[in-house]
This record gives sequence, structure tokens and C-alpha cells, in this order.
Amino acid sequence: MSTSAPETGPPAHDAKPEPENLTLHTQSSTLSAWLYLVCLSWQRQARVRHMVWISLALLALTALAVGVQTLSAGWGLEGRPWRSQGRWMGLTYEQALGETYVATSAIAPLGSPGAAGLDDGLLQSAWAVLQRSDFIRFSNSIFRIFVSFLLPLWSLSFGTEALGGDREGHNLLWLLTRPLPRPAIYLAKFVALLPWALALNLGGFALLCVAAGRPGLQALRLFWPAVLCATLAFGALFHLIGAYFRRPAIIALVYGFFLETILGNMPGYLKRLSISFYTRCMMYDAAGTFGVQPESPSVFLPVSGTTALLVLLGAAAALLLLGMYLFNRTEYVAAE
Amino acid sequence: METANRQQGEAITPPAPPAARKSAICNLQSAIPRPVLLFDRVSKWYGPVLGVNQVTLELRGGITGLVGANGAGKTTLLRLATGQLRPDIGSVSVLGHDAWGQPGKRLVGYCPDVDAFYEEMSGRQFVCAMARLCGYDRAEARRRTEEALALVRMTGRSDRPIGGYSRGMRQRVKMAQALIHDPRLLILDEPLSGIDPVGRQEFVALYRELAARGKCLLVSSHELDELEKLTDHVAVMARGRIAAVGTLTQIRDLLDDQPLSVRMHCDQPRRLAAALMALEDVVGVELGEDGGLVARARNPRKFFQELTALVLEEGHDVRHVETLDDSAEAILGYLLGGRRGS
Amino acid sequence: MGQPNLLHYRPWRGEFQEPLLGVWPVARVGLRMMFRWWPFWVIYGLGMMIFLFFFFGQYFLAWADTQVTEANVQLGGFGRYDPHDLFRILRHALKLTGNGETYRNFFWYQSYIILVILALAGSMIVGNDIRHGSMAFYLSKPISRWHYLLGKCLAAGVFINMVTTLPALVLFVEFGFLDGWDYVRESAHLCFGILGYGLVLTVTFSLLIVAVASWMKTTVPIIMTWATVFLFPKLVASMLVDGLQFHPRLRLIDLWNDAYLVGNWLLDVPPDRIPPWPQPAWYEAGGVLVVLCAACLVALVLRIQAVEIVK
Repeated sequence: MSTSAPETGPPAHDAKPEPENLTLHTQSSTLSAWLYLVCLSWQRQARVRHMVWISLALLALTALAVGVQTLSAGWGLEGRPWRSQGRWMGLTYEQALGETYVATSAIAPLGSPGAAGLDDGLLQSAWAVLQRSDFIRFSNSIFRIFVSFLLPLWSLSFGTEALGGDREGHNLLWLLTRPLPRPAIYLAKFVALLPWALALNLGGFALLCVAAGRPGLQALRLFWPAVLCATLAFGALFHLIGAYFRRPAIIALVYGFFLETILGNMPGYLKRLSISFYTRCMMYDAAGTFGVQPESPSVFLPVSGTTALLVLLGAAAALLLLGMYLFNRTEYVAAE
Repeated sequence: METANRQQGEAITPPAPPAARKSAICNLQSAIPRPVLLFDRVSKWYGPVLGVNQVTLELRGGITGLVGANGAGKTTLLRLATGQLRPDIGSVSVLGHDAWGQPGKRLVGYCPDVDAFYEEMSGRQFVCAMARLCGYDRAEARRRTEEALALVRMTGRSDRPIGGYSRGMRQRVKMAQALIHDPRLLILDEPLSGIDPVGRQEFVALYRELAARGKCLLVSSHELDELEKLTDHVAVMARGRIAAVGTLTQIRDLLDDQPLSVRMHCDQPRRLAAALMALEDVVGVELGEDGGLVARARNPRKFFQELTALVLEEGHDVRHVETLDDSAEAILGYLLGGRRGS
Repeated sequence: MGQPNLLHYRPWRGEFQEPLLGVWPVARVGLRMMFRWWPFWVIYGLGMMIFLFFFFGQYFLAWADTQVTEANVQLGGFGRYDPHDLFRILRHALKLTGNGETYRNFFWYQSYIILVILALAGSMIVGNDIRHGSMAFYLSKPISRWHYLLGKCLAAGVFINMVTTLPALVLFVEFGFLDGWDYVRESAHLCFGILGYGLVLTVTFSLLIVAVASWMKTTVPIIMTWATVFLFPKLVASMLVDGLQFHPRLRLIDLWNDAYLVGNWLLDVPPDRIPPWPQPAWYEAGGVLVVLCAACLVALVLRIQAVEIVK
């Protein structure tokens, strides 16, 4: 078999050619491209209209339920009927406390002044708790609906859609073949999802609190930092899941509604692996003086609010950096 | 020139070439001192499957076709060139810059085979968005968008959402976004797939125009007839390896074990057949019913010289000479083990 | 030129079956699609954790009961007690007695796994067909759109039963081995109760997920809608009834609780032993489920008439 002589030019393997100076592209700016990507990604998050409408519908339903409760019976226990069996069955809490006060006042002259003072102090404490019961009950409702469901769900929707949507639609290659560093693409997508996640989480939380009246406004003032930090942490986590897994929404669902629930209810220190634990700790710390606390503090083992804040922000930063690193290393094949 | 040995009935396994001849060079513009695209002993695995195997290839300019059977590794090679994949072994560089990195991507325009867009956008918006993602400001992006759309003849049709475009229009939009940043290297993956014949002619003319402007094009295609019209230089891939690189004629010449088939029509075919049998390189002659004959000969260059001399000496009235298996399809078939051929 | 030498082609000689028999192949394709995705098995494993708690919990208690002696044990200042009595109390407290409450509790705890697995099923086996246009392959065969939907519902039903009914039947068999054949004889109705509860879950939630997935198409909206339909009413009902002491009929918006009430009735659990208390009546819950199924069928009819299978 004959072969012809090699063509002109050095063999490729012997010398590495020097990179050519890029004089053709001085008009382009990586920062400009990055900023545009943030803007484009933010706009495209809204293209999944179902997602936006479902989120708003959930918010509206929850706000409606809260508003109806506020306008009808309010959040306090004063006007609620005593539910347990006993002599106060059928009375409201306020009436039951009033009857107790009358009964103790009647027998007070027969006892010592100290005992009468103690009885009075206990009843006044009970009355103070009753007066704060609206905030406590609203807070418990917030934990049940907002922290356990709405916050993770809204964060999941926009967090996984940021990169997962492009992967599902085979559009990621348009970004990967642009002259943008990959970590910058990842960061741009995260920055773009934040307005949506924050608007729904913080804005939605504010709306619910306003709908609840006085206890809601108090809750808003105390709990908004926890909601903000949880949004950042959940957003970073779900964004990472969106970059790494093929079906990120499912993985995020498993984490958000299964692992978080299981870990959050585990005895001991295992619950400290869940984001909602630190969210609750921040909330308990902020509202501790108002009577809001875990059902079993010895089982829940809360950390201080400052620790929880640092953990949430640190987790958000660490997850973001990890995601940038993984996105830079991972190869995305268009056919997947 | 790198060639491939092909054992009859066996898969293509190129011989290990000597060190001095490791590079397979398509040098149309030898004035360019460095290769536009360089694969240097590149291998890529997908888990246990070897997608690309020790590929060394240089492109210095012009249009190069990349052909091969399904699963040969063409798309993998193109994805390596566009920085979507990283080689497990070796390196891929564009004008000296790593293809994975940002500077390398500035030099590459990619027209993929996937049919996915931002469907809610119009063609103009999409191309403009791609320009903005390259870092141009709004005015510059708009200017480049109009230029690119004019080049692909989509100026008057780009304001509808892409979701309503035909296949040809979508292909033009892909081409426009690939050209938006004036790249040195254009990677086109199946650009003619699904395009009607008129559209293909337009695209072929466009590619020639781009090559004339100094761009280097690497075109992967199954449309071998169109590829032959576009370029004579091909790289043939088989089972993750480059089986052959060069012009079709050069590759054909080197397929010594596949004698060239030449059909001839003359006034006395039997006499000519007897004379041809006497030639050393002729391995067989077949007489046809239509008065023609088909000769099979090794070493085509020498054969045609001897044929010319024979015809002149003996006065044969040869009216028609035609090579039957000089096409890309036939060459591909020989190289790929006879699965495709004329 | 002679006749081409064909490849000795023989025509297919079988008999075409009823289109209804095409339902199982449709389901089988969906099942294989899920089974090939390894995270599915991780999720299924998490669901089986709960089953293992029940399985080994019962076995542990039975084993521990055999390890203690007949001598009474002193419980601090509360007196001496027979350890067998203590284990009996523990078993009753943990509801590991093999009565209807045991299986009822097991079904209840599987709710989050059902949520995740059906969300995955909706996205993969229904959403994929619409998104990638593969529905055309199914509907080009001699089956109707209803057969196609039935196949998808069957696949979803298989997942539901993999997580609930089958493990519950295994628990039933375990109780039978541990407590003897008297248990099987006396509790045979529980076996039918388990099957009935599984059937209620299968029909209701398979229809629901197929209806949701056929309308939403893409993954994240499917997930959001499914989580909303499945979890949000549960939380709202809990907030309203348990937290704010509204009327217990408001629990009827919680679909999982409705199936739970019907399941309790099938498992012969007395109404006063159904937590959380108070609860509406089982027939009210059953009515809600029937209306839900009817609504899903209507939604599917509308979707079938509107779906474009050609891009």
C-alpha cells in the first residue's frame, strides 16, 4: 500500500501551536453576555405559565383561608369553644377562665394572702397566654402550611426549572456553546430564579401575614429573615439538583416532602441535616418570648437563631459553589 | 496521507502510521500557519463504550466532509470540537485554544442537528438573543442579526414564532445563530437533513460562499450526493476511528484491494476486452449485453495511462468511459465493509 | 432481469386479539420505563423502610416476648408487673397487634411515598408521551384512546399496590406465622379489607394522576399540581380542623384522608379509634371519592377530544 508524503505544515503531535490572538471579538463583553443571560433566564422562567398560575392559585387559596379565618372567628382562643371533656365543656376559653377567676376569688378570703396572690398570678399568666394565643396559633398554622409545604414547593418549582427546564427542552446546548464560562452560566441561572422564588416566598408570606391581621403583621416582622434565608438555601439546593439530575423535580420532591419530613421528625441530631429545621429554629428564636416554641423542646433540640442563620446562609453559599463546580465538570449531551 | 487497511470482511482498523505521518492533513490554504481545528490523539468513552478512538485530525481551511455510518462517532467528534464534551485522552483545540474553554468557543459556530429552540421566540429574537449571549450590546447584536438573517435569506420571514417554522426555516435560523459572531470555524451537523432539493442547493451555495470568505467548515452529513457537490475532501469515520482522510480520488486510489470498476462503450467490445486483459493491473473484464464492458483494475492512475495508450495504439473507438465506484457512497461502502456501495 | 430473491418472507399467521388485551402492553412499557430508572428503586427503598419498621417491629416484639422469664419486673415505684403484660401494652400502643389498625397505619404512613412515586409515574409514563410525541405510536395501533388511558392507569395502579397492598399482605402473612392459624382464621376479613383498601387507592389515585399528567404535560407543573392536590388539602384540613377547630367535615377536602376513612371501614376499625379526631363519616368520604373519580373521567374525556398527537 502506497501513501503519499505528508502535506506542508508541522505534524500536530510534535509542537503545540501558539493560540491565535483574538482580534476579531473586541466588541463583545463577557459581563454583558452574563447580564443578558440573567435577564433572559428570568423572563423564560415565566414561560412555564402553568407553574406561575399554580403558584399564584396556591397563594390565593391560602390567603383566602387565612382571610376567612381572620374575619370570622379570628386567631385567638378567647372565643373558641372548650373542646375537651369536663365542666367547661360548651364554654369558650374566655368564659372558662372567667369562671375560674370568679371561683378562686370566692374562696380567696378563706385562704392565706400568699395563696390568693399565687392564684391571682397564675390566672393572670393564663390570661396573658390567652391574649397571645392568636399569634401562637397563627405561627403554628404558618409552620404547618407555609414552612412545610408552600416554601419548599415554590422553591422547588423555580429552582429545578432554572436548569432542568433547559435540559428537558434540549435547549442547554445553546448556552453551552456560547463563549460564556460554565460557572458563570450556573450563577446567572441562580440569580435569575431568585426574584421569582423571593417574590413568591417573601411576598406570599407577607400577603398571608397581612391577611391574618395583627398576629400576622407581628409574624411578618419576626419571621421574614427566616423565610429569606430558607429561600436562599432551598433555591441553591434545588438549583444544584436541577443541574445534576436528569429528573430534578422528582429528586427535589423526594427531598422536600419526604426526607425533610422524616429527618425533621427524627429524634436526636439527625434533623439538623434538614433545611426546615434551621428555618424553624430561626422562627422559634425570634418569637420565643411570645410563647412560640417547639412541642417538645427536649426532642426538637433547637439551635440558636444566629447559628441557624449562619448555617442557612453557609449552606446556600456552599451549595452554590458546589453547583458551579459540578456544572463546570459535567458534560450535557443533547440527546439526554 | 493517512489511509486505512481493510481486510476483506473485517472491520476497518487503520494501521498505526509512522510518527512522521501521524497527522492527516487537509491543506487547502497552506498559507495558514496553524490548524484551525486540531484533534490530537483524542479518545472519548461513554461508560464502557468507546465513542472516539485515538483520532488525530487537522483542518486548515475549506470545507471538509465528515462521513460515516450511524454510530461511527461523528456526532461525538463534533461535540468535542464545540466544547460540549471533553476528551478523556488527548486534546481538541481551535486555533490553539482549548475547545472546552471560552476563547475556543468564540471561534466556533455550531449548527446542531437537534431541533430545539426557544420556541416562544421569533427567529429574529432568537438569533438576536444568541448574539447578546456572545457579549454584543443591543445595537451590535441587532446589526449582526440582520446580516446573518440576510445571509441565510430569512430577513422577511423571521418575525413569526419559531414554533410555526418549517424544517428549512428552522435550519436557516440555526445557521444564522452559528454565523452571528463571525466564527473562524463552522461545525455543521447534518445541515441538509430534511431539506428539500431546492433548499439544499441554496445551502450548498451558502457553504461555498462561506468557505470562499475564508471560513473553515466541517460538515457531517449522510447526504453523500450533496456532500460530493460541496467538497472533495472528506474524513471517513468508522467505529470511532478516522478510516481515511483526503479527497475522494486520493482515497479511492489507495484502496488497492478494491479494484476500480470502469464502464466503457466502444464499437468492438470483445477486442477491447481482450486487449485490456493483457494489462497487468486489470483483474477482470465483464461484457455487458448493451455492447459495453466493465473493467476492474487496480492502480487507477496507471490503468488510465495504459488505457489511453492502448486506445490510441490499437485504434479503438471508445465512446464512453465512466468510473462506477468513485463516488463517496461507493468509497464509504468499501471502507465500511461493503454495507453501503453502488 | 429475473424476479428478486425475497428473503423467504412468511406472513404473520397469528390471530388479532381484542383491543382490551392491548392494555397490558401499554402498562408494561410504562412499568419498564420506571424500573429502568435507578432512582425509582431508591425511592421505592425509602418506602420499604416503613414496611421494614412494621415487619421487624412485630417480629422483635414477638421475639422479645419469648425471651423474658415468668418472673415479674419492678417498675420503679409503680409496682411489679408481668413482662408479658408490658409487651402486650407496648404492642397495643404501637398498634402492632395485627388488627385492622395495624394495616390502617401502614397504609397511612405510605402517603408521602405514594405522592412521590405517582408524581414520577405521571411525568414519565404519561407526560413523556405527550412531550416527545410518542403517543402517535400507541394510537396508530388498533386500540382506542381509552385503552391507552386504561394501560396508563394500570401502570400507576401497579406502583400503588407495590407500595401498599403487597407489603400489607406480607405483614398479614407474617402475623399469621407469628400468631398461628387462629389469627388467619379469625382475621381473614382483614385480608379482604387490605385488598379493598388497595383497590380504593388504585382506582382513585391512578385516575387522578393520569388526569393531572395529561393536562399539565411538563414535569414541574405536574409535580406542582400533584403536590397541591395531594398535600395542600391535607395541610389545610389539619389547620382548619385540628388547629382552628372547624367542623370535621372540612377534612373531606383531604383525599388521602377520605381513602383512609373508607379503608378504616373496610378494615373494620371502630370510628372512635380513627385518628386524628374528629373525623367525618366513612360514607361521606366515599362519596367524595366517587365524585372525584367522575371528575377525573370527565377531564380525561375532554383531554382525549382535545389532545394533538401530531406535533
